[in-house]
Amino acid sequence: MCGLCGVFLTETHWADANIAAGGSAARTRRHERLHRVALANRVLKHYGFSVRDWQGSAYLLRGQTGQTAVVPSIAAVWPAAEQLRKRMLDPLDEALIEALERGE
Amino acid sequence: MNSSSVEAATRAIPVTVLTGFLGSGKTTLLQRLLQSPKLARTVVLINELGEIGLDHLLVERVDESLVLLQSGCICCSIRDDLKTALRELLSRRERGEIPEFDRVVIETTGIADPGPILYTLLGEPVVRHHFQSGNVVTTVDAVNASLHLSRNPEGVKQVAAADWLVITKTDLADPAQVTAVRDELGRINPSAGTLDALHDQIDPDSLLAPGRFESKPHLAMQATAGGYLGELRRHSDQVASLSIALDEPLDWTAFGIWLSMLLNRHGDNVLRVKGILQVQGMATPVFINAVQHIVHPPQHLERWPTADHRSRIVFITRGIDHARLRRSLAAFSNARVTDESAA
Repeated sequence: MCGLCGVFLTETHWADANIAAGGSAARTRRHERLHRVALANRVLKHYGFSVRDWQGSAYLLRGQTGQTAVVPSIAAVWPAAEQLRKRMLDPLDEALIEALERGE
Repeated sequence: MNSSSVEAATRAIPVTVLTGFLGSGKTTLLQRLLQSPKLARTVVLINELGEIGLDHLLVERVDESLVLLQSGCICCSIRDDLKTALRELLSRRERGEIPEFDRVVIETTGIADPGPILYTLLGEPVVRHHFQSGNVVTTVDAVNASLHLSRNPEGVKQVAAADWLVITKTDLADPAQVTAVRDELGRINPSAGTLDALHDQIDPDSLLAPGRFESKPHLAMQATAGGYLGELRRHSDQVASLSIALDEPLDWTAFGIWLSMLLNRHGDNVLRVKGILQVQGMATPVFINAVQHIVHPPQHLERWPTADHRSRIVFITRGIDHARLRRSLAAFSNARVTDESAA
């Protein structure tokens, strides 16, 4: 719930909620997690990180130099990566936006 | 949401937060609301005993005390007083010491930051099981609005967190002042409904109904507002709102990644995010509501409130480049994002 504190106010973090569950085009939970991981990796690669699903219950964050962290939600990836890299991950970073706009 | 959490949400008691500066008419508004039979089973929690007495069955006093979490994030602090007061209400009801109640209204102090109150309602394990966060209603005194916005940073936060803004003392202010206050409040928080306490009908049902979304276009500033508007603006010129629309259904997962990353880095300056989303795979809308770092659980609405079925989101920010915010969301969600702020 709070990305800054890493404190979780509900069992499932809002950003991990499968909102479309029950809809006609709903993804399965596993499909949803894989989709989430793929989208997060599109961003994380610009900072030298990657993330993968960890047993369907957490995410394993890995840096290029082998640093790792297990985090319980996708929202917890950002502060964890900042702590490992000692660098801010900013979605308003012009270079990141341009790279995403180019489809990188 | 599983069946047990649906059941918990159904029986959870709504908690309305009534905030606004000292002397802005919170207690007068509360007194007026409590005259309605619909609020007969309401418990009122107050932080400070004002000059106006409340003739109501259940009025409890709480002393403001914060428990700061290790992160030092102020908005995500547990209000210990509130936690204790709400838990105590449940215990006393169980013991038969107080009657059954179906609503709680918290009247805050004039300088209260709404963030920790909402965090306590959403984050404290016992509280969140029995209570649910309702609307934030903020009173703004038309005569002293400029003073209020300038003296305390909480003033702007109270306006940004509001679902309803109630302008008070309009009979004591110059009409140009009232116009300027209304314009400025609309500029800061276009997602809130605005009422004139003196001239508008205050209907408890609409004031307290959850899940309300509005996105007013910015009004052209009234010429009659004159210098007073400039005076108001000086105190909140870093705060601005952005209203956007997305024509295509939104990928919720991409949006969650973007918003969680945005709040992690800029949560202190993203005072409010409120919107109604057309999510891929969903026929009905999803309502989102965040106050700084605190995100309410996304809520499925049964129907669209208007014929406009596009995703519409209002952001209230401090010192953030809106063009870049819009481009960032578009790049993350691979969608066209339109600025709808201007009328």
